[in-house]
Amino acid sequence: MDTLFSSQLLVAMLVLAAVYALIALGLNLIYGTMRLLNVAHGEIMMLGGYVSYWAFVKLGIVPLISMLAAILLTAILGALCYLTIFKAVVRNRALAARLESNSLLIFFGLSIIIQNLLSLSFSADPRSYAYLDAIIPIIGARVELNRLVELAIGAAATAACVIFFRYSRLGLAIRALIQQRDAASLIGIDAEKINLLVFSLGFAIAGLAGSLVGMTTAISPFGGFSYTISAFIIIILGGLGNLAGGLLGAVLLSFVEIYGVAATSSAYRSILVYGVFIAILLVRPQGLLGRKSA
Amino acid sequence: MTKTALTEIIVAVVGVVFLTLAPLYLGAYWLGVLLQLLSWVALTESWVAFSGLSGYVSLGHAVFYGLGAYIMALLWQEAPIWQILPLAGMASVILAIVIGYPALRVRGPYFVILTLGLSEFIKYIVVALEAAIGSSGRLLLGTPDPEVLYYLLLALAIVATALTFWLSRSRWGVGLRAIREDETAAGTLGVPVAFLKTGAFALSAFIPGVVGAIWVMRTTYFEPLELFSPAVSFSIVTIAIVGGSDQAPGPILGATFIVILSELLWARAPQVYLVLLGLLLIFFVLFLPRGIYGQIAAFYSGKRR
Repeated sequence: MDTLFSSQLLVAMLVLAAVYALIALGLNLIYGTMRLLNVAHGEIMMLGGYVSYWAFVKLGIVPLISMLAAILLTAILGALCYLTIFKAVVRNRALAARLESNSLLIFFGLSIIIQNLLSLSFSADPRSYAYLDAIIPIIGARVELNRLVELAIGAAATAACVIFFRYSRLGLAIRALIQQRDAASLIGIDAEKINLLVFSLGFAIAGLAGSLVGMTTAISPFGGFSYTISAFIIIILGGLGNLAGGLLGAVLLSFVEIYGVAATSSAYRSILVYGVFIAILLVRPQGLLGRKSA
Repeated sequence: MTKTALTEIIVAVVGVVFLTLAPLYLGAYWLGVLLQLLSWVALTESWVAFSGLSGYVSLGHAVFYGLGAYIMALLWQEAPIWQILPLAGMASVILAIVIGYPALRVRGPYFVILTLGLSEFIKYIVVALEAAIGSSGRLLLGTPDPEVLYYLLLALAIVATALTFWLSRSRWGVGLRAIREDETAAGTLGVPVAFLKTGAFALSAFIPGVVGAIWVMRTTYFEPLELFSPAVSFSIVTIAIVGGSDQAPGPILGATFIVILSELLWARAPQVYLVLLGLLLIFFVLFLPRGIYGQIAAFYSGKRR
């Protein structure tokens, strides 16, 4: 039992929670504003991870700098996706009638395309690199420096987004659109422009998260799926489109993962994660902080 | 209408005769291709019977397929095959009722992710169970000839198609479509919403259970990660979308199209095949949402006018 109260586990949980919060935020933004289910989220993360991997291995550029390139690349990809595909989808009446399942299928197609293009270009091998792997003692735990960097940047980026959505005009406009799409358009919020911004922002957050994750964990073309699933579990736990709920969900899921595995065995990780997810969804179908609505 | 119905009946009869005689003149390779085709037809028809009609997109149909395979692997050589097969189907029906009763209370994206989550949950439970027993994969020795499996799958594919055909024209099917269009309104008008949904979900689980049980005799090896793989669920949905997910002929066309494509490309360039599959899926959702069959049907009804 003693190990359960060690600071080692606490730090591990915080690192995981920071990454999860970030990933879930990107997914929630796109769902919240446009009701689109981005199941290619994990693949976009992997794209960001590959940018940092190649920058480090081929050019010797550290991830702290190359993550900017990952953000830029995925943001451009997000804008392109919106302009070429989803602008038409949101406008088309027939498609918009079943927007959620249609968007799920389109994004699923996109995820297969990205996975296999990555696998064609870089092979299916998992990639990892050693960067900032010195071990630092902190509050009684021994943690690799790169995990602390991951935690710091993940938390800082999430905090920056929270501040952006609370205080900036643009952030408030996005939240207005999440809450009342039609009313927001009526009071002069340019929904089209915001959609484009949200797509770029949502993708860029995934790119950044991928770049961070790649510092400590191996990335591979087909490695994104488990992150997509985790992100979906988190935002459903918190209530779809509910940004604060997503933060709570991230903490909860990382708690279950880290402490559940420590208390039982790593073989039960998936059973625990899915079990908690199913249990909460059956008891509170609208998510922990979700409001009851149609 | 009578003319198109007649054409469809003729095509169906010719198809069934061709498929019944197929093992007599086809080699092992093409028989294998047809086995694959028939199992996808049966799986996708059963998916369409529930998800296509009701609009509740299930991303967890692999769980029934995997459960059927697991039951066959567990009972292999303990009981005769003709007893295990219906048992595998019934076990899937029971699982569907147990899952469906609570799960069908949530709608839209919640349901999609929940079915995927449930399917993964059960997959990892089976993995843990197998690990606890100390078995790493189960080998099935002395499975029937491919010809026997072929006729079993052919019968199953025909039953599945007939079931979807009947369901889509029945009162039940009308009720399911009403749920798809507006569940609240349907409920207000007196459609027994919960009963129809759970019933269709349970009914659509039987066939995948039996297909899984047959398929594991074909591969002769039970590996939970492979048989419960979400890729099975995703493939079913892709085939339904490409073929058309509202009518019985859709999955046949979709499965034929995808199996031909995979035969042409899978062995030579699997990644190119999958990229193409992704592009096709996006193309069909955007431009041909009614699928190949919906397009053909619209073409003929347009011509008559």
